[in-house]
Amino acid sequence: MGDVIFKAQDISKTFPGVKALDRVQFELRTGEVHALLGENGAGKSTLMKILCGVQQADSGTLTYKGQVVRFSSINEAQEKGISIIFQELNLVPHLSVAQNIFLGREPLTSLGVLDEKTLNANASAILGRLNLSLDPRTILRTLPISKQQMVEIAKALSQESEVLIMDEPTSALTEAEIDELFEVIHGLRERGVGIIYISHRLEELQHIVDRISIFRDGKYISTDDYGKISMDEVVNRMVGRSLENKFPTRANQPTDEVILGVSNLSRKGVLDGISFDLFRGEILGVAGLMGAGRTELARALFGADPVDHGEVRLFGKRVHITSPSAAIDHGIGYLSEDRKGQGLVIRMTVAENITMANLSAVAPNGGVISGRRELEAAQRFVTALSIKTPSLAQKVNNLSGGNQQKVVIGKWLFCESKVLIFDEPTRGIDVGAKFAIYELMEKLAREGFGVMMISSELPEILGMTDRVLVMHQGRLAATLVTRQTNQEEILTYASGIKKGSAE
Amino acid sequence: MNEVLPNKESLAGKRAPVSLGSFITFGAFVLLFVVFSVTANNFFTVRNVLTMALQTATITMMGIGVTFVIITAGIDLSIGSVVALAGTAAVMIANAGVPSWLAMVAGVGIGALCGLGNGLLITRLRLPPFIATLGSMMILRGVVLTITNANSSPAPDDFGNLANNTLFKVVQTADDGSVNTVFPGVSYIVLIMILMVLIFSFLLKKTKVGRYAIAIGSNEEASRLSGIKVNRYKVITYIIAGFLSGLVGILLASRMVTSQPNGGIGYEMNAIASAVIGGTSLMGGVGTIGGTVIGSFIIGVLSTGLTMMGASYFAQQIVIGSVVILAVAVDQIRNRPKKRKG
Repeated sequence: MGDVIFKAQDISKTFPGVKALDRVQFELRTGEVHALLGENGAGKSTLMKILCGVQQADSGTLTYKGQVVRFSSINEAQEKGISIIFQELNLVPHLSVAQNIFLGREPLTSLGVLDEKTLNANASAILGRLNLSLDPRTILRTLPISKQQMVEIAKALSQESEVLIMDEPTSALTEAEIDELFEVIHGLRERGVGIIYISHRLEELQHIVDRISIFRDGKYISTDDYGKISMDEVVNRMVGRSLENKFPTRANQPTDEVILGVSNLSRKGVLDGISFDLFRGEILGVAGLMGAGRTELARALFGADPVDHGEVRLFGKRVHITSPSAAIDHGIGYLSEDRKGQGLVIRMTVAENITMANLSAVAPNGGVISGRRELEAAQRFVTALSIKTPSLAQKVNNLSGGNQQKVVIGKWLFCESKVLIFDEPTRGIDVGAKFAIYELMEKLAREGFGVMMISSELPEILGMTDRVLVMHQGRLAATLVTRQTNQEEILTYASGIKKGSAE
Repeated sequence: MNEVLPNKESLAGKRAPVSLGSFITFGAFVLLFVVFSVTANNFFTVRNVLTMALQTATITMMGIGVTFVIITAGIDLSIGSVVALAGTAAVMIANAGVPSWLAMVAGVGIGALCGLGNGLLITRLRLPPFIATLGSMMILRGVVLTITNANSSPAPDDFGNLANNTLFKVVQTADDGSVNTVFPGVSYIVLIMILMVLIFSFLLKKTKVGRYAIAIGSNEEASRLSGIKVNRYKVITYIIAGFLSGLVGILLASRMVTSQPNGGIGYEMNAIASAVIGGTSLMGGVGTIGGTVIGSFIIGVLSTGLTMMGASYFAQQIVIGSVVILAVAVDQIRNRPKKRKG
């Protein structure tokens, strides 16, 4: 670690009704990876936006390379050497890698025409510095997300960035891709680039982080060297209280009544002969690496994607599910990973979202919606699930992630679903709110639902489930009893090191 | 579990407050009306208001249809061609000896069928709505010109009854036998328009069709994963648009008591403009029938008012085009994404 390159002092920022930042501080050295941690709403993103010029602080000072600075736009910050990589990539899918890297700064020939040759050569040089073997002429859209992210990093590098801000860079990456990203980060660090790293995945910090700063509710809490602070302590400081029990106690035992039976479910290139049973009152975990086919399995069971062959039985009866509406009629609910994109219509209200999948129940007269019935139904679930919303007419867009997830749960409960498939149920949800979701899942199991939980977070799988299906490349690599397994065993099956057979 | 107890307000809070946007639009309409009443002679007379309502009613009805389509993030460019085809077909059927009322029903049915065709092209062949309806606009226009050889032909006399009769007409006969019209009456076209406004307002606000149209336009994938039969409801909205275009087609034919194979050209643009002025978003998910009614009346008042002030048709186009741009620009400025907290 070198000298302090970028320093924020006493930064405050107020939005209408919210004090987003309250006299916070942050410091970055050259050649350091500095993690900024905190729950959603802690003020991390606001500080990052101030550091890179997207927003301006109400008060406080920024010192960059010893000089007090104030960036009025992201371009101004970029010219000084500060780049940010947002969670959502800012690239143009139909342009090539090189064209993306130099977008807005294209080299021209003496005639004022685009100089593709120089462009590609310059891009190659930068990709080389990152040790990436990528043809600069590749159309961006054809690359996996991880490679696209590398292109974004290359773009930042091409602007001679000395400070790089990364907001949740690993959220869409597979394990292998994350390793690749970390190598790039190591390389940048050695070259003296200061990196601010925001992530919700605490377990990955050990590979790259030098120091950790923690924010809570818009306030600065602490800065420590990595290794001088335990992860439990980090979590305590983030949530402001000790989280002794991350998971609720499972009060019930699964019964031996099979709710959902699946035999030999296959779809070419995606799912290969999946067979398992889901018992009443069980929480069945589905583990696997990204791309192992977990979401595809859920979507196939839910009728969202077609299958080639295979048999699905509900309560012992064979069913043919060819569309989501058929799945819903049979009592299956799917809580997708992408809540805002697929689970909710975020511009519609809490009540409208809760009744959406079972509107007929509140529209008894030939499709005419009874406003009274709709509100009663919605209120029932808002109360039962403790959904925090100012009113039933609130747009779900304005709710927190945890409450949005509860709205989705309410939607499926209103359909009288018997099987609920949760896909990454706590992704993007605050540490504190996660527990409430776990409690709900536990309660559902206790009340006799069959619950499947797809998750990339193994602690969650180990803490919540009765059994776990481990998938690898579209196959069921193993079916394990949660109490008799551990993280390592699941990973060996998930990564294909060990090939087992399903029960 | 009962951290958040329901309160009366949360139940009462269901009805969304009238948005600022529709308030501005309505204000603009009232302002226009007042300005023309002051500046143009004879603008604010019973007769002129009724005439305006009559002229605007067709735009309103087509606008309602296209509002449904646009709410699902679609578009219907074939409206004008459907208008011509439905009217012409109805006249031809009546001339073949079928009772006029039945021929009119058939005309409206043909409009609805055209909508069904659009819907199937979009959902079965997965064509973008712009392309599908651009194609059907040209095809249907070609069909109507071909079957008529581009000639308009007169309809039986009773074909004109529907659109040329009025209700509540008050006539005084003076002692000398001369007839004095006290109140010219409200055209059946206007009454039908009011009926359609009521029906489709209800359909949009209170039924599954409306709710699902909004859901599909806001987030099609989430709608599908909620078990909504997305394709079916999309087709329904195109049928609605076709039905209302067909209705306008037979009303126009009835008013002229003639088939008009060249009629209706460009009508879709007025319909879309009225929806857009009324706050319907081309991105889908947003739109109201009330807004479209106001939007169409802004267009109607503008063109009548400008005509009465002596402005040419060409000048009117400039003004109406500017209003469309202005209406959407105001909307855009109001909806600038607000900076969010971290």
